[in-house]
Parts: sequence; structure tokens; C-alpha cells
Amino acid sequence: MATTDATKVAARPPRPSGQRRRSRLAMRNTLLGWSFILPNFLGFALLTLVPIVVLFYMSMTNWNVFGTANWVGFDNFERLVGDGSFRIALLNTLYYSALHIPLTFVVALGLALLLNNKLRGVAFFRTAAFFPYITSIVAIAIVWNLLFSPDYGPINEILRFFGMENPPGWLTSSDWAMPAVVIVSTWRDMGYYMILFLAGLQTVPRELHEAARVDGASTIQRFFNVTLPSLRPTTFFVTVMLTINSFKIFDLILVMTEGGPGQSTLVLSQFIYTKGFEESQFGYASAASVALFFMCIIVTVAQFLLNKKRSV
Amino acid sequence: MKRKFVVAAGVAMVASLALSSCSGESADDGAEAGGPVTISMSGWSLATTPEFQVLADGYMAKNPDVTVELKEYDPLNYNTLLTADLAAGSGPDVIVQKEVKFVSTFQEGAQLVDVSDVELPEDIGGTEAYDIDGASYAVPYRQDSWVVFYNKALFDQAGMEYPDGSWTWDDYADTEEDLATALAGTGAFGGYQHGWQSTVQGFANAQVPDADILSGEFGHLEEYYERVLALQDDKAQVDFNTRNANQLTYQGEFGKQKAAMLPMGSWFVATLIAQQAAGEADAFDWGIAPAPQYDDSTAGIDNVPVTFGDPTGLGINAAVEGAELEAAKDFLAYAAGEEGAQSLAAIGIMPALLNDAVVETYFSVEGTPEDELSRFAISTHETLPENPTSSDTAAIQNVLLDLHTAVMSGSEPIAGAIKTAEERFKNEVDID
Repeated sequence: MATTDATKVAARPPRPSGQRRRSRLAMRNTLLGWSFILPNFLGFALLTLVPIVVLFYMSMTNWNVFGTANWVGFDNFERLVGDGSFRIALLNTLYYSALHIPLTFVVALGLALLLNNKLRGVAFFRTAAFFPYITSIVAIAIVWNLLFSPDYGPINEILRFFGMENPPGWLTSSDWAMPAVVIVSTWRDMGYYMILFLAGLQTVPRELHEAARVDGASTIQRFFNVTLPSLRPTTFFVTVMLTINSFKIFDLILVMTEGGPGQSTLVLSQFIYTKGFEESQFGYASAASVALFFMCIIVTVAQFLLNKKRSV
Repeated sequence: MKRKFVVAAGVAMVASLALSSCSGESADDGAEAGGPVTISMSGWSLATTPEFQVLADGYMAKNPDVTVELKEYDPLNYNTLLTADLAAGSGPDVIVQKEVKFVSTFQEGAQLVDVSDVELPEDIGGTEAYDIDGASYAVPYRQDSWVVFYNKALFDQAGMEYPDGSWTWDDYADTEEDLATALAGTGAFGGYQHGWQSTVQGFANAQVPDADILSGEFGHLEEYYERVLALQDDKAQVDFNTRNANQLTYQGEFGKQKAAMLPMGSWFVATLIAQQAAGEADAFDWGIAPAPQYDDSTAGIDNVPVTFGDPTGLGINAAVEGAELEAAKDFLAYAAGEEGAQSLAAIGIMPALLNDAVVETYFSVEGTPEDELSRFAISTHETLPENPTSSDTAAIQNVLLDLHTAVMSGSEPIAGAIKTAEERFKNEVDID
């Protein structure tokens, strides 16, 4: 019944009342849409958007928690430029990202390719690879600290067994602490990105693979010419997330090294935390946060532009 | 979405602090003078830290009109949480000053009442830590100081004489080496040095003549670090890296007899007694020796040994007024005075007021060592503040913490690390 009525209405020439009804419908849909996102948006606005706006204001003041925040203009940013510790934190963050992003990318993709095959017990292996991601970070830090122990740790025992006379000091050496942190963070994150890649791999059209195989393409050729291009939406998403997550690395550093030895693993988020919450220089810490914010924005925008150019 | 991630690390909290700072009145409920008054006091780990309840109960027994309510905070984030509460105008009336380095932050933020008019006993220690521009912003009720704990059983086993109170740090190092040699094969080290920067820097800052971390010159640390590094290299103590990798605790290392000596704060007396009673620590005889000295001029039991330690104090929220303010000041006088000190000493806590009667009470606690040197070590010392009262202290201590981890882990030689720290001081702290 309803369908026949609807066809009749549609079949008739449009009338003003129909337009009104349509605009009312559009209005209703808009309101409905807003009411769906409102609970989330309210939370976002209150807990994220407003604080960000305040953060920008704070970065131009010398606020120290109490009392008034005096306007100091760009003084905080000038101080950042001359601050040796900020420079070290910035370089360390870039160093960490430069190691962590490609390594995690390759490992996660490799795992996904491996576990995309029809193996016996593949569900078990997929779950196992995901475990580190859901393990408590404090537990991870304690266990890896033991594993990395220079004199008694299993890692160095194994290295010595294979004939390495002076295995690295890992977390105790300023040269090796960052690579050690990168190893742990890669181990921790690989499962998460593997799941994303696995989802992406399901969308690669089987026909393309078959066609390539018929044309005589080798496995490696098929990987580079079929799998990777088909995965582009996923690789783009993974790269963006990995980059942002690397820039804002904090928790793992705090529980594993606290930035040490010396300042060898001091990263930007920790610099912000120390200046703000330990030294009560919230204005200055806000300025550093703004710097980190723009770093993330710029790199992400660049990635978007690059992705757009490639997809044309 | 992206923006959400960027702010994750605490930035949201910065802003929420900012917002909350504009709102709210004090938690004052404005009681009439003479009527019943309720004051609140901050505290942490109330179940295992009885001192707050003891002071509150003692005071309420004397002043039935006044109720002292405790407000519990997480000990690890005590100052951060307290800061947030104060900024929001909902802080406690009586504020326990857990760390001296935050006092100047609170004072500069106009959160503390000038309590110079609270009457304090003559021989109380630690008051200078709360002195800012000639006015007092808190009163000390507890003053721990650093001493050396030693295991008499392990000394006997090694066939060595107990400490006699005459040690300089070189004597201490020699003893530790000898102990390590004599105890080789038993699994016990000569000493245990905890990972904190205080275990080296605290002593150096207090004892080396004219040392002052606020000056930005840290050359005085070199000798203290060289000595410790040598002990580490000789395996007279567990090295810093192994300690960190295995997350060793000083309670475990000394309590389970893995080390014959332990430089530590006097708060460990109460802990060790409790752990021995509960069976968590082995049952063995132990004693307390005064902190080893920089040179002979302050060593020996006919001198006053120099050591360090920060007091714990009580301040009053600037928002408190009227009858509550009177009651709060009266409570401060009680806590810092003879009666408060007696009640603290009775539960094994070292009060800021250490007269003969208080020391007597302190040593009457069962399980406390009874020898003369222990009594001397606890009762006689010049305890200098570990954290000088200045708004630069937190930043300087962070610079020195980096120096500590770099040097102790062996990733930077001490001379270079001192130079780095001095440059960072000029670059990051001394910028005004």
C-alpha cells in the first residue's frame, strides 16, 4: 500500500506542498543527524576542543598554575628555540620516529602477509601477535627491563652465546637506550597495525592476483604491483597513525627509562610533562605542546597532499 | 580525530586546571567563633602512614570542639593532585608539605598563610626550609635525616668491627670493600646504594664546604661520584644498571641481608622494625651509624656530623579564615610542639623537635636498636635541607637527576656530565 502511494506521489508533477515536505524532511534529517553526534561532540568540545583553544592562549602566558597568567607574547617560543633540552627532546623524538615508523610498518605488514595465508591455527597466531598491544605497559616495562639487563639479561646471554664479546648495554647506555625502546615499542605496536593490514588485505581483488599470475608475474612482482597498490588506503592510514603516535610517544619512555640515561631518551611529550607538572611552568609547557601540535599537523598535511597526488 | 591525539599527553589537564582556577570559592563553611569547628588536612596512604591520624586524634582529644578531618591523596601524585585542588579552590585547610621544593610554588601562588606567629619550641629543626623572605609558610613536624644502617650479623660474620662514628666517606668506602671481600661467596655485598640521586648528591651538597646547587656550579659532586663508581666497579655494591634492571628495593636488599650497610633516611627505622616484626625482613641485629663525613673536622662522636634531609611540614590554605584559621594555627603549634613530637616518636617517626624526652620515647619503641652509637646517630646531627627553598629547585634537581643517571649508568664520565649540567643550568634555569 505505502509503496503504491509513494509511486503515485512521485509520478505526479511536483507541487509546492511536496517541496515543503521535502525541506521539512531535510530539516528533520539534519536535526536527527546532529542529535546522533551531539553526545560525542559535547564530550569532544568540552574535554578536547576547549582545552586546545585554552592551550594556545596559555602558550602565550607565563602561567604557573596559581594566580594570573600574564601575557608574554612569543617569549615562550623564543625560549624554546634557545633551549638545549628542547632541542635534544626534538631530535630524540625524530630519531625515535625515524626508527619506529619504518620498522613497525615492515614488521606489521610482514606479519599480516604471513597470517593472511590459510595456515593451521592462524587464529591463534593472530591473537598471539595482538597480545603485546593489550598488555599493561608497566608490566611490559618491567619484563623488558629484565630482558635487557646488560650483565644477567637473557638477550645479552644469547648474544654472548653467539660470540659477541661486548653486547650492547641497552637501556643503560646512552647510545643503545633509544634503539632498545624502539624494539619494545615495535613489538608492542605490531599487532595493532597487523590487524589493520589484515583488514586491508581482505579487500585486495583476487582477480588481479590471478591475472598477474597468468601473465607470469613472480610472487615478489605481484606483491609490489598488485598487493601494495591495492593496499594504499590502508598504508596511508597506518603511516599517518604511526607518525602521530611516534611523535607523541610518552608512556613507554616514562616507564622504561624516564628519559635517561642522562637525556638520551628524553622526548617531546616528556619534556612537556616535566616542565609542566614537575616544574610548574605551565605556560612554557603549553608552548612546547603547541610546537608538537604543529609538527604533527604539518607532517600529516604533507602526507595527505602526497597521498592525493599519488591517487590522481 | 587528529587533534584528539595531539593533546592526549596531559595538555587537556593543563587547560582544565586553567579553567578550574577561575571558579570556586574556598571550602570554608564559616563556623561561628566559639562553636564547633571542623578543619580538613591532607594526607597520603592513610592505611600505612599513621602519622596524620595520630596528630589529628591527639589534637582532637585535647580540643573536643575541633574536628580534624583527613583528606587522602595518592602518594605518587600528591603534589600534582593537591595543586589541582588548590587551583580549583577546593584544597584542604591544613596542607601537608610532602616535598619542600613545592613550598615556594605554593607560596608564590599565594596559596599559603603566613604562619610566622605560630609558636614553636626552641630546639625544633627544619624551620629554615619554610622561610621565604623572612616569613614562615609552614611549620615542620617531622624531620628525617640520612644515616647509615648496618647489619651487625654480617659485620660479625666478616669479622669486622662495628662502625664507631668516626667515618669519613673514604673510611666508609674502605669498610665496604673489606666487607665485600670478607663476605665473598655468601651472596651479600658490602653495601647497597639505592638508585636515587639523593644517595650521592644529597651528601655532597650538604657536606662539601660552600657547595650550593642554586649557584649552578656542580664541581663538588665529582669526588662523591668517583668514590661510588669505584665501589661499583669493584663489585662492593650492586651496580646501578643491575639495580634498575631488577628494580631492587632498599627494603629488600637490606632486610634480606644482601648488603651489610645501607645509607638511607631515618624513616627506614620504623619500616625495618615493622618488616622484621611481620617476618618480611630477616631477623638480625642492626644498628645506626651517623652519616660518613666529608673530612675529619666533623667526624667522630665528639663532633656534630653533617647530613641532609628535608622536613615534612604543615601549612595553611590561604582561603582559610576566622575560627578555622585560629583552630588550624593552634593545630600547627600542637603538631610541631612537644606533645605532637611525643606522639610521633611513639610510632617510630622522627619528629622535627628532638629533645631528650622525645629521643627517649623514640628509642622505647620495641625493635629499635639500643646501642649508644645508634642513639647518637639519631639524636645528634646538623641536617641541611636537600632541596633549598627556591622556585628554581625543581628545575635544578631535574638537571642533576639526568647527571645522576648518565654517570651512574656509565654512559658519561663525571667531569663531562658536570660540564653538561652547568651549561644546562645557564641555558634552562638561570634565564631571568
